[in-house]
Amino acid sequence: MPVRFLRNASELADVSMESPLPVQVANAKPVPADTLLVATTNMFLSGERDLLGSTSTELPTLDACGQYRKLIWFYFRDGAAPTNYRVLARATDHNGAPLGTGWQELATGTLPGGANSWNRIDIPASGDGYYDQYRIVVERTSGSGYSLINKIVGVRG
Amino acid sequence: MTPKVCLITSNLTRFNKAWTQTLRHLGIDYTLCIATSGSASATIQTPQGAFAANSPDLRGYFRQFDAVILCDHALTLSETAVINYSVFWLSWNDPEDPAFLFFNPHFSAAITESAYNSNFPSDFPIVRPNPSDLAGTLYAADGGSPSAGNPLLAGGQSARGACIQFLAENTRAHVMTVCNAHGASGFVNVVPYYWKLNPALHSTLASTTYTHRVARNGKAGEIVAVPAPPTNTEDTETYPSDCVVAYRYRNIFWLPHTIRNLPDTVNLLSWYLVSNWTPMLFWLLYGLQIAGVRPRYRLPVQMETDHPLDSFASTAPFNFSYLQQMQMILAQYDYMRDFARGKNTAVINGVRVGGRHRTTSITFHWNLMYSTSVPAEARAVAQQVNQLLIAGHREGTLPCGVHDHTAGNFQGGYWLGDVRAGFRRHSGMRYGAPNNVPINRGRCCVAPHVLPAGVAPPNALTVQVGDAEMVEWDHTMSGTGDTFDLPLGNIHAARIVIESEIEEMLALGFPDGYCAGHKYTNTAANASGGECYWQALKEFGFRGVRSASACNDPHRTKRVVANRLWHGFHLVADIGFDLQASGAGYTRGLYYPNSPTEGDGVRHWQLDHSSDISSGWTTNPALAWRAYRRVLCQGIGNWLFATAVVLGGFYIHPYTNSMIMSLSDPLARFDGWSKQNVIGEPHYCHPVELLENMDAVVRLLPEYLYWGTITDVMDHRERVMDG
Repeated sequence: MPVRFLRNASELADVSMESPLPVQVANAKPVPADTLLVATTNMFLSGERDLLGSTSTELPTLDACGQYRKLIWFYFRDGAAPTNYRVLARATDHNGAPLGTGWQELATGTLPGGANSWNRIDIPASGDGYYDQYRIVVERTSGSGYSLINKIVGVRG
Repeated sequence: MTPKVCLITSNLTRFNKAWTQTLRHLGIDYTLCIATSGSASATIQTPQGAFAANSPDLRGYFRQFDAVILCDHALTLSETAVINYSVFWLSWNDPEDPAFLFFNPHFSAAITESAYNSNFPSDFPIVRPNPSDLAGTLYAADGGSPSAGNPLLAGGQSARGACIQFLAENTRAHVMTVCNAHGASGFVNVVPYYWKLNPALHSTLASTTYTHRVARNGKAGEIVAVPAPPTNTEDTETYPSDCVVAYRYRNIFWLPHTIRNLPDTVNLLSWYLVSNWTPMLFWLLYGLQIAGVRPRYRLPVQMETDHPLDSFASTAPFNFSYLQQMQMILAQYDYMRDFARGKNTAVINGVRVGGRHRTTSITFHWNLMYSTSVPAEARAVAQQVNQLLIAGHREGTLPCGVHDHTAGNFQGGYWLGDVRAGFRRHSGMRYGAPNNVPINRGRCCVAPHVLPAGVAPPNALTVQVGDAEMVEWDHTMSGTGDTFDLPLGNIHAARIVIESEIEEMLALGFPDGYCAGHKYTNTAANASGGECYWQALKEFGFRGVRSASACNDPHRTKRVVANRLWHGFHLVADIGFDLQASGAGYTRGLYYPNSPTEGDGVRHWQLDHSSDISSGWTTNPALAWRAYRRVLCQGIGNWLFATAVVLGGFYIHPYTNSMIMSLSDPLARFDGWSKQNVIGEPHYCHPVELLENMDAVVRLLPEYLYWGTITDVMDHRERVMDG
């Protein structure tokens, strides 16, 4: 007597290798967040650049991030100089090609925190991400240069 | 026994992540402890509690380690408190105490703290540097000129030169060496120094019996390394007999600088700036080895070349003919094959394909062998090179893979634009003419399990790229012709491009296009494209490729995945070391007065400190040796960075460095002005010098390095990434 289950709400299917019983995984080891970037950004330089120092406006800071619901950007800044930041994102097709040029701006503002402060920015601030590419840019607008030490993790669940 | 070391720093903000990255790759466990200040009164915060720097509790805590490493250093000798807390440890010399590794230690006479000065051992045999009496307490190194910045902060360029004699090993090696550094400011015009020995104190120590596992000679004092004496009388950079660069005082190792104290984050997870490279890493590896720290893993050393056959139409001022260029290439690859045989390594080579179908340029491998625009005698030698490569490929010494500068729009690598106009493909095989194959993605359904019947035609294709599987139809097709405009950003284009490259390799006589069992190649311009190219490469059997972080530059729409491992496919970091910038074409020498911008090694790697090479090149023969030392130290340092920190691929273009070799004796070792090239400048053979100097380093570090292959590198990447 084959074991059967209801598939797609209306279809009765036999359990087989090709049609396994749908189950919910329990007691599984949780998947940890993935570290996607650890980088020190030279904020002695002027002009807008991404966390990896690039001024190429189409170049992502992070790629192949479609599996992550959120990115968490931790940073330590050893200077308090006023700094603007922008978080840009876009999707790619299955080949990895951006769907178009330019970016969707997810967040912009003044980078929080003073000298020697720890900070965290959730990307996106609310809702889910699942974007394939992110470009995170910073620009010191005045004051003295400093080091911006970053870590970004991707969160799946 | 598990290798375990203790790292001490007083400032995590400045702590360089290259310390821990290197230790992880070696499989050495570490504990990071924080000194609350640089003062002798500092408390050392350990996982087992905070201990006073001079406390028995701290001494007992340290005894669980193979070595204790001091990570902080001064930028000038005028500083007064950097690692003052460590002065007590100089007297912890029992056999149960660990080895202590001091790199570029700050023990300047400028330190005023009485607890430091009163506890500094009276029998310590190295003269304490005095910023008010530099000439009396130190020896200015590498010509004594100031670096524009601070030599301690040098990264992938701006090295200082040194040839070091390792006494116990009786081995000479070029490794960047700065014992201390000093300037009016810590950041500009800083001079490198070696140490001055107190011969009487050393003599006493050297005759005192001492028992500790790190005391190889059973004595309390041992000179470990000194500046090597010149091998040619025209090299007048000599040092007195009391000059030392590394010393063992009981169980305390006084070693040169290794990793700078800046918040650099250099690891597999991120990008890395050239300025963040760590060219003085040798001293960390050497220090660990002589401290008896046995790593779980040794690191494989390997080298790659790009463009084994390539040429220049004009090679002024050398004016090499095509024949002469081919002869120099043949000599270099013949040497590299022999070297690889002897050392059990494999020199990977990226064959510049594309000449068979997409360009008539006689700079390409195929055309140098077959184009009638190339003189027949040069073609004959080019064909000898090709035969040498095939033989080396088959025996495993010179594995060759595809390296295509014609696939994209900009003479680079993969996916360098939206469309490659007039792309010409191969014939036959699966994706060649006259097969009518997809060249761009079509309409698609990303959820094939809910695709209603009848929407996709029967000839719809299932396409998988990474995790994404979908059904595609209504593709743009190639037609039956061999030439069309090829949209580059899709897997169909990638398959055509890669198959055409492999077809050319087969036509050249190679059995495959991916370095035989290594299943690897070095991509042109380090442009690996993106997901669709990585997927296609996997389909053709590749395990990995060398790739830049921005992996389709100059299109600049893609980056490699964060950990450089995409669905098991390796994206190996690129560390190149030619003696000129790519814009200069070929090198004019270690240094050449009339060189174009960045057209020689000294200019390209910013090694002309205070113009101390350029200002006297034509009048002072010793400056050729200075240039030689600096170039080699930079090259070996960058190679070690590739080997130990980013587990990457170190590579050169032999053909761009050919013209500075002696035509009559191309493989001769450097000998200053005593061996000259065709324009009367010093002869220099890049692969010979790099490989033989790295071999000296490998022989010095048998427990840390071995000559391996790119397969070993990829295996090790998987090993440490899993861990």
